[in-house]
Amino acid sequence: MKRDRLEQLRSFWDEFRQVRFGLVGLVLLGVFIVIVAFEGKLLTYGDVNTRWRDMLYWTNSPRYAMPVWVNWFTGKDYASSAVIEPHNVVEGTEGLRSVHMEFPYEYKAGRPPRDLLLDLALTGQVALQMTIERPDGRTLSYSKQTSSSGSQQLRISIDQNLRERVYQTVASGEDPAIAASRNPKQINAVGALFAKAQPGVFSNPEVLNGTYTLTLNVTLVGPSASVDRAQVVIAGGVSGILGTDGNKRDLWSGIIAGTKWALIIGLLTSLISVAVGVVYGVTAGYFGGWIDSLMNRIYEIFVSIPLLPIMIVLSAVFKPSIWIMITMMCVFFWVGPVKTVRSIALQLKENSYIEAAHGLGATHRRILFKHMIPQLVPYAFASMALAVPGAIAYEATISLIGLGDATVVTWGQILFDAFSSGAVLQGIWWWIVPPGLAIALMGMTFAFIGFAMDTILNPKLRTR
Amino acid sequence: MYWKYAVRRVIYAFLMFAVIVFIFSAIFNSVADRVMRSQIQETVNGESRAFLRQGVQRNQDQFLVWKAQRTAELIGMYHLDEPLFSRIFWRTIDTITFNLGQSTIIRSSAGEQDVMVIVTERIPRTLLLFGTVAVIDLILGVFVGMRKARKAGGLMDRTTSMGTMVVYGMPAWWFGMLLIMLFAFTIPLFPSGAMHSTPPPEGIGYTLDLLYHMILPVLTLVVLGFWGVAYITRNVVLGTLQEDFIMSARARGISEQKVLFGHTLRAAAPPIVTMAVLGLLGSLFGAIVFEGIFSWPGMGSLYWQSVQQNDIPVLMGNLSMTTGIYIIGLAFLDLIYGFLDPRVKVGGKA
Repeated sequence: MKRDRLEQLRSFWDEFRQVRFGLVGLVLLGVFIVIVAFEGKLLTYGDVNTRWRDMLYWTNSPRYAMPVWVNWFTGKDYASSAVIEPHNVVEGTEGLRSVHMEFPYEYKAGRPPRDLLLDLALTGQVALQMTIERPDGRTLSYSKQTSSSGSQQLRISIDQNLRERVYQTVASGEDPAIAASRNPKQINAVGALFAKAQPGVFSNPEVLNGTYTLTLNVTLVGPSASVDRAQVVIAGGVSGILGTDGNKRDLWSGIIAGTKWALIIGLLTSLISVAVGVVYGVTAGYFGGWIDSLMNRIYEIFVSIPLLPIMIVLSAVFKPSIWIMITMMCVFFWVGPVKTVRSIALQLKENSYIEAAHGLGATHRRILFKHMIPQLVPYAFASMALAVPGAIAYEATISLIGLGDATVVTWGQILFDAFSSGAVLQGIWWWIVPPGLAIALMGMTFAFIGFAMDTILNPKLRTR
Repeated sequence: MYWKYAVRRVIYAFLMFAVIVFIFSAIFNSVADRVMRSQIQETVNGESRAFLRQGVQRNQDQFLVWKAQRTAELIGMYHLDEPLFSRIFWRTIDTITFNLGQSTIIRSSAGEQDVMVIVTERIPRTLLLFGTVAVIDLILGVFVGMRKARKAGGLMDRTTSMGTMVVYGMPAWWFGMLLIMLFAFTIPLFPSGAMHSTPPPEGIGYTLDLLYHMILPVLTLVVLGFWGVAYITRNVVLGTLQEDFIMSARARGISEQKVLFGHTLRAAAPPIVTMAVLGLLGSLFGAIVFEGIFSWPGMGSLYWQSVQQNDIPVLMGNLSMTTGIYIIGLAFLDLIYGFLDPRVKVGGKA
């Protein structure tokens, strides 16, 4: 018996191999599985699964940054995001303790970054003094004293904290009349910092490439004072493989993290619902009579309920977690294979070997599970594959309305964020295209596999 | 008798609607109760404020007694004081007599709060959009499907099958977003949403304006939708083409065109109607929230609105009405099927 099954499987595989798009589907599925398996290595932000909605986690990255590969297609490169670690760290111990460090930034891009941030974690009472030296020798300096009992985070942003300093640095290059008419608080500080100090520096800045060095001197007052972290963050115009969204989140990480949820939702829903549907259909067909009629009535009730509306209302009323949502989908998805399975079962039960099994005293359960359902396995696999895209799309749709489970990252929720912050109307294509494409690609993967099995199961559909 | 079958099918559809509404009432019973009670509370508070404004002097005790009495009266009126089953029963009766209650926030375009009015004014808009799509899908799908079946395994067949699979899991609303970005912003050819320009033009311009606004949403749904119909048509027609009567028709020298569109399509029509239209019905109801993307003011947008504003009565009223339309669609499908395939009526008992 077991060898028979194996033989069957092998011949099924031999046939499956002939269908080219079926193989493409398998390869794509393999890619998705690899993505899920190596998620940790692929994520550029490792904590994305737990901190996707934690705005603090994303403060250092730029808002609405395009994918890095956009630079391949533009004449003027966008500066990419970067984190610069301290160089030439010198610790002074004479008198007050102090730390000196330098952060060189090689600016080669054609368009300035969104912001330049000095990101510090400090303990105790400290005085810090920073200088930015531009390639043309102009400098910007800034100092600050701060103290706290524990460790504190300090973030000094060019765009938010240092506009006036930038103005002072470059204003002498501009026509005095124009410079005087500008409000230092309203200039494009980052643009001006990375521009040639010449007329037009505020209105039409021309980039000044070269090495910008940020020098930081921290004086540590008191014995417990220390610098726990120091880095310069360049929030670029382009960032990461897929850019960032309006909440500064890295979309690549979000989409990679969403892959496993799409697979879980799709596979679990289709597995359970098709299994239930097959058993249901076979039982109805096998027993016939009033059992069949009753089961048919129940089936018809479920068929007459429009799936998406009921799912929306259930989600809106009960605010389900992702697992409850999968359960809900199973409750309505199982009807899919019932009709076909029942008609197959009606034919199967007329076979003489079923009668023989009966005569040998086999129980109904044994006949159902040993003799009938195994024959339906290929069909069940085909319907499973074809049910997966629907389940993924339904979850995405429910998320799109804003009813998704907020503790996980799914593609649908990324699209919900995009749509609700108006990304469509602002043309933020890198926020809209990739998540939807991922949904469509995964749908296509399972469609390829399912349709391939379908052509094998119904050979007369292949050609005329 | 066809009419007997038709009457039976319609009664059956109505029973089905009643049963499903009963199930809905049971599932959402506690929420509906809660909303109803808070609405009653609000009514009573409003009435008592009105009393106070009129300067009716009552002592505090009397006032509280009146308030409690009034609340109890309203609770009795809506059967909220009765046992669980009875509450569910009365809510079912209310729903199937289209007494859907009052909304909490959303109003109809005329400013009414009756849920029935809010939902019904949106039905024709949804039917217009999705009906147009269904008709185009069906015509295009059957046409392409026949072409596919004629040369099954050929280039045309393979490429269009590939199309079916590529769009299989693609959410219509996402594709809609792409088309809006492309054809409303990058190349501003079409409006990005809504049903009319503001203010809507008069006369013939009104219709033209409506059609102009329909192009992009209809295009989105058709581009994704007709593949499925084509694929099903192909499979059904391919099955029929292997029948003996087709071979005999060919043997008699009847032209291929006639065989295909006369003999085959006629025999294949009933299954095409059931499978393709059933699939279409399912996919269109699955695409209903797509309206929100194009701000098309139909029932699908109402789902968005009622979810965002947490308007439970509208949400549930909308669900009941959507289900009603879906069931009518299914019944209609069976009636067409019965009309095309007379055997169904006889086989009612099997």
